[in-house]
Amino acid sequence: MIQQLKEIFKYRELLLALIERELKVRYKQTLLGASWAIIQPLSLTLIFTFIFAVVTTIPTGNVAYPIFAYTALLSWTILATALNFASFSILNNAALVTKVYFPREILPLASISAHLVDFAISSSILVFLMAIYKVNPTFNLLFILPILAIELIFALGIALLFSSLVVILRDFKFVIPLLTQLWLFATPVVYSANSVPENLKLIYKVNPMVSIIENFRKAILGQPLEWNGLLISLGVSIFTLIIGYLVFKKLERNFADVI
Amino acid sequence: MSSNRTGEIIFKKVSKKYNISSVRHALLVELIGNLFNPKKENYLNKKNQIWALKDLTFTINPGEAVGIIGRNGAGKSTILKLISKVVYPTLGSITINGRIGALIELGAGLHPELTGKENIFLYGAILGMTRKEIKRKFDEIVDFAELDKFLDTPIKHYSSGMNARLGFSVAAFTNPDILLIDEVLAVGDISFQNKCFAKMDEIKNSGATLVFVSHNPEYIKRICNKVIWLEKGKVKKIGKPETLLKEYLK
Repeated sequence: MIQQLKEIFKYRELLLALIERELKVRYKQTLLGASWAIIQPLSLTLIFTFIFAVVTTIPTGNVAYPIFAYTALLSWTILATALNFASFSILNNAALVTKVYFPREILPLASISAHLVDFAISSSILVFLMAIYKVNPTFNLLFILPILAIELIFALGIALLFSSLVVILRDFKFVIPLLTQLWLFATPVVYSANSVPENLKLIYKVNPMVSIIENFRKAILGQPLEWNGLLISLGVSIFTLIIGYLVFKKLERNFADVI
Repeated sequence: MSSNRTGEIIFKKVSKKYNISSVRHALLVELIGNLFNPKKENYLNKKNQIWALKDLTFTINPGEAVGIIGRNGAGKSTILKLISKVVYPTLGSITINGRIGALIELGAGLHPELTGKENIFLYGAILGMTRKEIKRKFDEIVDFAELDKFLDTPIKHYSSGMNARLGFSVAAFTNPDILLIDEVLAVGDISFQNKCFAKMDEIKNSGATLVFVSHNPEYIKRICNKVIWLEKGKVKKIGKPETLLKEYLK
């Protein structure tokens, strides 16, 4: 294990080069460039606002719906990109994987890291939203960082798991987008976790994204956090990372043979 | 036995099996099978398996220039892939000491949207060079590739020859202890080919080990001082190029 971490460290320059490649290439030949990082969550916020604040109303605890949804979407997007991009990072780099040696986990790692830049860009909109909806910044904003760390651990675990599975079995090409859609609605992004009936809450909270998203939103809105749920999410995230890594390592030897 | 000699390659009873089944979940069946039965019994129909290499044992010493010959499908490229750790042996063990430089299908990892300059840094990193190292050698690489006028052009506008030159030049400046070359000299014009040979000689003379796969006996003669002759995944003979090539060409 330590040996393998050393190996990744040895290839840190490659990790940086791949992140750079991803960032340079992603918005090449697009007119709007990096503003796409903002347009995506913003347009989702608009349509969700239309559905859940205009067509019908759902309880948000007196928080304006656009900022209620946007904060959650910011956080959700990290897992969504892990699923939709990092999970395909081995498959999409088949030419590299079949010809050059390097620690393979660098590919999903680079993909997730590059998308953190998008996260930073889209976070900047929050400042405007907070001003418009008169949400005062509080000390709680600092908690975004540990919550983000927990989510990154979880996202990396998921990315390792699926990026190796999809190489072996292409069914996951269809499973992953479907899972992303279902997962979005199983997580309190467009609604509040408080609206979930008590008798379902236990099974509902098995999903570690519930506490991550809820607390991320609370941190921005200046509400008190739920530490218990966050700690459980941390535990589940670490467990997921370990499982993801073990599966990845087990399947890795076959990547070049079957890709 | 001396251990850890830089530039050394040791194959011990190496076998490599490929599944050629069209059934997608074949590997999954086998992996799950192996979980419950670590002795690696066969869970799959034997006719869907191919042994690309069988029971291969040989040692390549530091500084040797070894040519690998054999018909199509004899397992030549599989050996290079095993040495470069892209694929793993099904059975047996491989010991590699030193940094590997590979001229295997040049340009895997070059990105069409990026410029020549950006690709030099990207490809250098892929081949294990640090940024500093690439910066230091940058002018030499560009000079060798003869691409100084096209550095800021996205390489999707390059010709295939220019692509190959870029790939070869970066790889040639990685300072490898072991250099793997797979039939890449087919690209580029005669003058660039000669330049490549000169560069390979230079790398050889610096004490690096060379492993060269080619169908062309002339190339083998020109570079190698030892030849491994493969037939159907097994070593048929190992010997000097002059004598072995004559026999091989019969």
